[in-house]
Amino acid sequence: MKASTLRTFQVVHTWTGLLAGFALFIAFYAGALTVFHDDIATWQTPPWRAAPSAKVSTQALIDRLVARHPQARADFGIVLPRTPGQAPYAFWFDNGQTHFATADELGHPGDEGNRNDLADFVYALHDSLGFPTIGLYFMGIVSVLYGLALVSGVILHLPQLMKDLFAMRVGKNLKRLWQDAHNAIGVLSLPFHIVFALTGAVFCLFTVTMLALNTAAFDGKLFDAFADATRTEPVREAAGVAAPMLGYDALIARAADIARSHGATDFEADYLHFTHYGDRNGVAMVRGLSDRALDIYGYIALDAASGHELMHSVGQTRSGNSIVYSAMYALHFGNFGGRAVQWLYFLLGLAGAFLFYSGNLLWIESRRKRRHADQPLKTRVMARATVGVCIGSCLAISGAFAATMIADGLGIEAAGPQRIACYGLFFAACVYACLRPIARATAELLVATGILTVVVAVVDLLRNGSAWTQLWTSQTVAVLGIDLAGIGLGSVFLLFARAARIRAMHGEENSVWAVRRAADARQPSR
Amino acid sequence: MIARCLAGTLLGLPLSAALIGLLYALPGGQRALIALLLLFFPLWIACMTAAYFFRNGRQAWLSLGTANILAFAALWLAHRFAGA
Repeated sequence: MKASTLRTFQVVHTWTGLLAGFALFIAFYAGALTVFHDDIATWQTPPWRAAPSAKVSTQALIDRLVARHPQARADFGIVLPRTPGQAPYAFWFDNGQTHFATADELGHPGDEGNRNDLADFVYALHDSLGFPTIGLYFMGIVSVLYGLALVSGVILHLPQLMKDLFAMRVGKNLKRLWQDAHNAIGVLSLPFHIVFALTGAVFCLFTVTMLALNTAAFDGKLFDAFADATRTEPVREAAGVAAPMLGYDALIARAADIARSHGATDFEADYLHFTHYGDRNGVAMVRGLSDRALDIYGYIALDAASGHELMHSVGQTRSGNSIVYSAMYALHFGNFGGRAVQWLYFLLGLAGAFLFYSGNLLWIESRRKRRHADQPLKTRVMARATVGVCIGSCLAISGAFAATMIADGLGIEAAGPQRIACYGLFFAACVYACLRPIARATAELLVATGILTVVVAVVDLLRNGSAWTQLWTSQTVAVLGIDLAGIGLGSVFLLFARAARIRAMHGEENSVWAVRRAADARQPSR
Repeated sequence: MIARCLAGTLLGLPLSAALIGLLYALPGGQRALIALLLLFFPLWIACMTAAYFFRNGRQAWLSLGTANILAFAALWLAHRFAGA
C-alpha cells in the first residue's frame, strides 16, 4: 500500500478513535458489568430482602391488571422477574402510551419498567449513557465510528502485526509496550469487536435505519417484511365471545412441553404476551430462554382459552431469519453459554475498555516533548479528559452501587439516588481532573474508585451476614460473586493507583504523567 | 481527505441501501431479510474505507456517484419487474 494511503488511514484511525473512544470506554466498562445483569439484580434485591410485591403471583398480577384496566385486555405483556426477589411487571398500551406496573403499582403505572433497578440503570449507561433516545442515537453513531476505527486500525497494523503479534517488548521504551498491548488486544479480540460495532450500530440506530431503508431500497415494504420475518404469534381477530382463559402456570407448562416436543433442550419462560385476553380468540405467546444455544430465545404461541399450539419458533424447526435475529442478541449479550461465556465476555469487555484507554495514552505519548518539562496544551487537555472521563465513569458506576445500597437501607426509592450519585461523581471527577495536577488527579481518582468499590462490597457482605449461614441457593452465590468481584475490581484500581503514583514520582520527568518535582512548589496549578 | 470522507459517508449510505435492496430482490431474499439488514452497516463502513483509496475527492465522488446511479437503476428495474 502507498505511504500516503497509510498516512490517511492513520489520520482516520486517530480521529475516529478519539471521537468515539470516550463513549466506548463507558460502554465497554458498563457493558462488562451488564454481562452479569441478572446477578446485579439479585445483588440489589436478594430473595431474603425482597419487597412484598415480589410475593404476588403472576396470575394475580394478570387478574388485577385486566380488572383495573379493562382496555389492556386487547394487548399486554408480562415481564417475568429474572431473580426471585423481584416482582413480575406488566406493560400495556393506552392512547398511544405504554404503561408499566407491578401488581402494587397498577393504580399509578409508570412509563418505564423497573425504574429502581440498578442492573437496568447500568445497562442504560452502557447502551445510551443513560439518556433515552438521544443517547441511543449518539451511541449508534459512535458504533459506526468504532467500526471505521477497527477497519482503519487493521489496515494500518496488519502488515506489522503478522510479524510481531505476540511480541511484548517490555523494557525501557514504554510507548512501545503500550503500543504492543494495544495492538495485541485489538487484534486478538477483533472478532468480538466486530460483533459489537455491528450489533451496537443495529440496536441503537434500528428505527432510523429501518425508516431509511424502507424508503430508499424496499419500496415501502420493509416494515411488513420485517414483521413477517420476526413474527412469533399469529394475528387473530377478537371473536366478541367471552371465554375463560388458561391460568399462568398451565400456559407456562404447556409452552415448555411444546418447546421440548420441537427439540428445545431448555425453555425457561421470561416473557408473555397476550392479545384479546378473555376472548374466545385470545392468544398467549410465551418466550423462553435457553442458554445452551446461539438461538437463545424460543417462542410458543398458544390459544389462551384451549392451550392449543398456534405457532412455534423454537429448537430445530425455526426459520433462518429467526435464528439470525436471535443470534444477533446472543452474540452481543454473551448469554448463550452459561457462566464460562459470561466471564469471557466480562474479561473481553474490560479488555475493550483498556483498548480505548491505551489508544488515548498512545496519542498523548506520541506527541510528548522529550526535552521540555512543559508539555503541549493539547496533550495536557487530552490527559485530563482521559483521566476525568475514564476513571470518572468507573467511580460513577461504583457510586451508583453505593447509592442503591444506601437507598435500600433507608427504605427509599433507588432511582433518584442512583442517578444523582452516578452523574454527580462523574462530573466531580471531570472537574477534579481539570483542576488538580494531572499525575496526582490520576492516582487520587483511582484510589477513590478502588476504596469506594471495595467498601461497597464489604458493607454488602456484612449486611447480608445472616444469608451466609442459611441454606445456600444460586442467589446466595450470585450475591457473594458480585461482592467478591467488587473486592477484586477495587483492588485492581488500587494497584493501578499505586502504579500511577510510582510513575509520577520516579518515571520520566518530561511528561504529563510526571509530578513536577522541582517546580511543584512554585507552580502548584500545573 | 475531507472530500473523500464526505464522499464515502454521504454516498456510501444510499449505495449500501441500494445494494441491500438488490440482494433482497433476489429469489429467496425474504428468507435472509435479517441477515441482509445486518449487512447494512458493514457495507456502509466498507464504502467509507474504500473512498480513501481514491486518489482525490473528485474521483471518489465521481466513482461512488456512478455506482449509486447504477445501483438505483438496477433496483428500480428489479422492483418494476418483480413487483409486476
